[in-house]
Amino acid sequence: MTKVETTVDVLEEPGKKVVLLGNEAIVRGALEAGVGFVAAYPGTPSSEVPMTFSAIAKKVGLYFEYSTNEKVAFEAVTGAAWSGVRAMSCQKHFGLNVAADSILPVAVTGVRAGLVVMVADDPSGWSSAQSEEDTRYYARMFKMPMLEPSNPQECLDFTRLAFEISEEFQVPVFLRTTTKVSHSIGTVKLGKMKKPRTKGRFEKDPDNYYNLRPHLQVLHDRLNKKLEQIEEKYGLELNKVFPGKGKIGIITLGVSFEYAKEALLELGLNPPIAKINLTHPISKSFVANFIKDKEAVLVLEELEPILEDFVKQVAKEVNPNLVIHGKDMLPRYDEYNLERVIPALEKVFGKKLGIDFADHKEKVASASKGSPPRKPVLCPGCPHRSTFYAVKKVFGNETIYAGDIGCYILGVFEPINMQDFIVSMGAGIGVSHGISIVSDQDIVAFVGDSTFFHAGMPALLNYKFNDFGKTPLVVVLDNAITAMTGHQPHPGSGFTGMGEKVEAVKIEEVAKALGAEVRVSNAFSQKQLIEALRELKDIKGPKVLISRGECRLLTRRKFRAKGLTMPNFQIDQEKCTKCGICTNDFACPAIVKATMKLGEEPVYSIDPETCLGCAVCVQICPEGAIHAVKKEGEK
Amino acid sequence: MKFDVMLTGVGGEGVLTTQVMIARAANIEGHYVRGVQLHGLAQRGGVIPTFVRFGSEKEVSSPGIMQANADLILAFEPLEAVRATYYARKDKTTFVIDDNPLVPIYANILNVPYPSLNEIIKRIKPFAKEIHVLNASQLGVEKFGSAIFGNTILVGAVTGGGLLPLRENSLREAIKVSAPRYVEGNIKAFELGLQLGREKLSRR
Repeated sequence: MTKVETTVDVLEEPGKKVVLLGNEAIVRGALEAGVGFVAAYPGTPSSEVPMTFSAIAKKVGLYFEYSTNEKVAFEAVTGAAWSGVRAMSCQKHFGLNVAADSILPVAVTGVRAGLVVMVADDPSGWSSAQSEEDTRYYARMFKMPMLEPSNPQECLDFTRLAFEISEEFQVPVFLRTTTKVSHSIGTVKLGKMKKPRTKGRFEKDPDNYYNLRPHLQVLHDRLNKKLEQIEEKYGLELNKVFPGKGKIGIITLGVSFEYAKEALLELGLNPPIAKINLTHPISKSFVANFIKDKEAVLVLEELEPILEDFVKQVAKEVNPNLVIHGKDMLPRYDEYNLERVIPALEKVFGKKLGIDFADHKEKVASASKGSPPRKPVLCPGCPHRSTFYAVKKVFGNETIYAGDIGCYILGVFEPINMQDFIVSMGAGIGVSHGISIVSDQDIVAFVGDSTFFHAGMPALLNYKFNDFGKTPLVVVLDNAITAMTGHQPHPGSGFTGMGEKVEAVKIEEVAKALGAEVRVSNAFSQKQLIEALRELKDIKGPKVLISRGECRLLTRRKFRAKGLTMPNFQIDQEKCTKCGICTNDFACPAIVKATMKLGEEPVYSIDPETCLGCAVCVQICPEGAIHAVKKEGEK
Repeated sequence: MKFDVMLTGVGGEGVLTTQVMIARAANIEGHYVRGVQLHGLAQRGGVIPTFVRFGSEKEVSSPGIMQANADLILAFEPLEAVRATYYARKDKTTFVIDDNPLVPIYANILNVPYPSLNEIIKRIKPFAKEIHVLNASQLGVEKFGSAIFGNTILVGAVTGGGLLPLRENSLREAIKVSAPRYVEGNIKAFELGLQLGREKLSRR
C-alpha cells in the first residue's frame, strides 16, 4: 500500500548508523519516545512521516490512523494524550491552518501525556501551490514551544525531546521542519526504542479542562508561566554556540545552519555561530550572551525575519551599536541555498569566493534555451485527463473552472487550462458559490475524493442551504485514494492507515444526503462522461458528477502483483492523419510524436513502456486509428 | 574528502531508489551522508533534481550541492542533463547519460522540438570534464524486461568505470536492501553495468 524507500532502516538496532530521510528520522524519534497514537492527514513535505508510521504501526504495536482532515487528526491525538498515551499529529503548513482552531484551546488546557504536533513548511512551494507560510508565527500565537531540527539526526533527537518537554510541562509541543529538512537525507545514529503504550484512561479534571472564564484566565496565566519556565530551563541548554574568531557572528536555525556551516568552510571563514534549536520561546539570555561583545551579526532564517526581529529587540538593551543583517541581504520569500547564503556572507565578511553565480546561471540558461520545458503532468492513463477532456467538450473554454488541491491541480497547465483558481482544500466549491450568487457565468468546481471528504462537504451543503444562484456543477474526481501525496487511504478507500478493511463510504450517498442531484460515471468512458455532463448541465440546484476511475498507478501495482501486464495500444499508421489531437489536445505523455528523418513527416506512436492502458485515446481519436495490441495467443 | 553526486531524471524513472542505493553504499563505507529527495508535486512527470553527497561530517552539511560543484551527474534522461549543467563545471564534473529520451508533452504543445543527442552533448560540453553516453534503459528492457533496471546498470557502470568512489561490494550490499523484491535482477543488472563501465568508461 505505502512505499517508503528506506522504511526498513527506521527499525534498525540501537547504536547503528543508517541513512534516513528527515521525515523517517522523526518517526524513529517518536518510537524512541514510546509514541502510542499517531494521526494525520497527508500533506507533502510531511507525508513520509505518516507513510512510515502506516508501514510499521502493526509491527511495533502502536495505533495509527489517517484521519479525514488535520483538525480531526489533532482532536484524536488530543484525546489520546489526555488519556495518558503519548501522541503525535503530523501535517504540512496548510494542514496546520485547518487544525489551528482546535490546537489553541488545547495549548491553554494543556495535556497529560506528551503531545507533539509535527508541521512541515514548504518555502519555495516544491510540494504546494497557494502560498508560502511561516508556521513559527503559530507557535507565538498559540504560546506553544517549538523545536526546529536542521538535519535528520536532529529530527530524531528533537522529536524524542519534544515528547519529554511536552510531558514535563504538560503542554503540546511543535516540531517544525521545512522541505529541505523533511526531504533531506542524512546519516543518523539510532537510539533505543521504547515499547509503545497504547491504552490509557481519561480522568475528569475540571482544574485542567474547564476553560470558561474566570478559570480561562487562570489557565492562560499558567500557560504564560509554563513558557517562562521552558525558556529558563531549556533556553541555554538547547541552543548551541559554536565558538569562532572575530567580532562578527552568525545567528541561525533550521536548514540555514547547514548552509551556513558549509558556506563558511568554502569561504575559509570561522566566525562564532549561534544555533537556535528552541525557536519558541527564544531564549533572551542566550541571544544576549552571544551578541553582547559582537560588532555585527548576520541572521540566517528562511521566510520571515522572526529571529532577526528578536535579535534587534535584545540588541537595544544589551548592545545598541550592533549591526544586524538578515533580510536586508536575503529574500523574505523562497528557500535559501548555498548560492543565496554565500553572497550574503561575502558582503558581511568582505571576502570573495570567486565564483560568479549569476554569470554561471546565465550560461546555463543559454545552454538550455530552446529546449522544450518539462512541467509536472498528469500521469499516462490518469482518469483526471479523461474527465477534464470530457468536461471541456461539454462546457467549452468560457466556463469558470474552479480548482482545488490534489493531482488535478496539474490541470492548471496547458493544454488543459482548467484550474482558474486554487485556494485551499475544498475551497473550489466554496468560492464558486460566491461567484454564482453575483454572476450568471457557468461554473464547474473540481474536487478530489479525499479533498471532498476533507473539507468539501460543508461547502456543498451550503449550496443546498443557500440555493439562490446558478448553482455550480461539482465534479468529484474519484480515483479511490489520496494520490498526490503517495496513495494514502481516505474514507472512500475501504481500508485504514493500518491496512484494516472497513466499509467504504460512497461519495454519491454523501452528496445525495447533502442535497445534491448526483450522477456517477466511469472516468475512462468519454461517452458516459459526456452523457452525464449534458444531463447535469440542464439541472437546476446542487448537482454533482462523480467521475470514478482508479488511479492508474494503483491499477498497475495490482496488475504487477498478479503477474499481469497492462493492455497496450498502438497507432495504425495507415489510418493516422497526423491531426495531433492525441498529442496536443489530449496530451498523454505516452503518445510520442517523432520525426525519424530530417524533412520527413512526423510519426505518431505509443510508447509501450509509458502507456498504462487506460484506452481513452482510442475514444478521442477521430479516425479510429488507435487500437489495442493483441497479446500472444489472442485472436 | 567530499563527493557530490547529482541525479536527474523524470518522475517515475526510479531516481529516488537509485539515490538511496548510493546513499546506503556510502553509509556502509562509513561516510557521512547528506542529500535531497523531493516528493509530491515534482514527482508527477516533472524533473526531480536529487542529490547525494558523502564525505566527512565536517565538510558535508548542506543537503543540496552548490552551483557548479557536482563531481558526478547521473542523467537518466538526456535533455535533463542539459538543465543539470547548473551544477556542473568544466574542470570538475563528469556526466553519465542514459540515452533514454522522454519527450515532454510540451515539445508538441509548444512546438519546440526535442534536441538530438549530438546537440545535447554540444550544449553540455562547456560544463563537462567528461561526457559518457550509455544505452542503459534499452539494455534494461532487452536483458531484464524493464527500463527500470537501466538505473542499476548505470550505477554499475559508474562504479566499474571508477567514476563513483565507492566499492563494488558496498553497492551490492546496498542493492540487496534497496530493492528487496527484485534483488536477483538488480544484482545481475549491476554486474552487467560494472562490466560495461570497466570496458567503456574506465580512465585506466
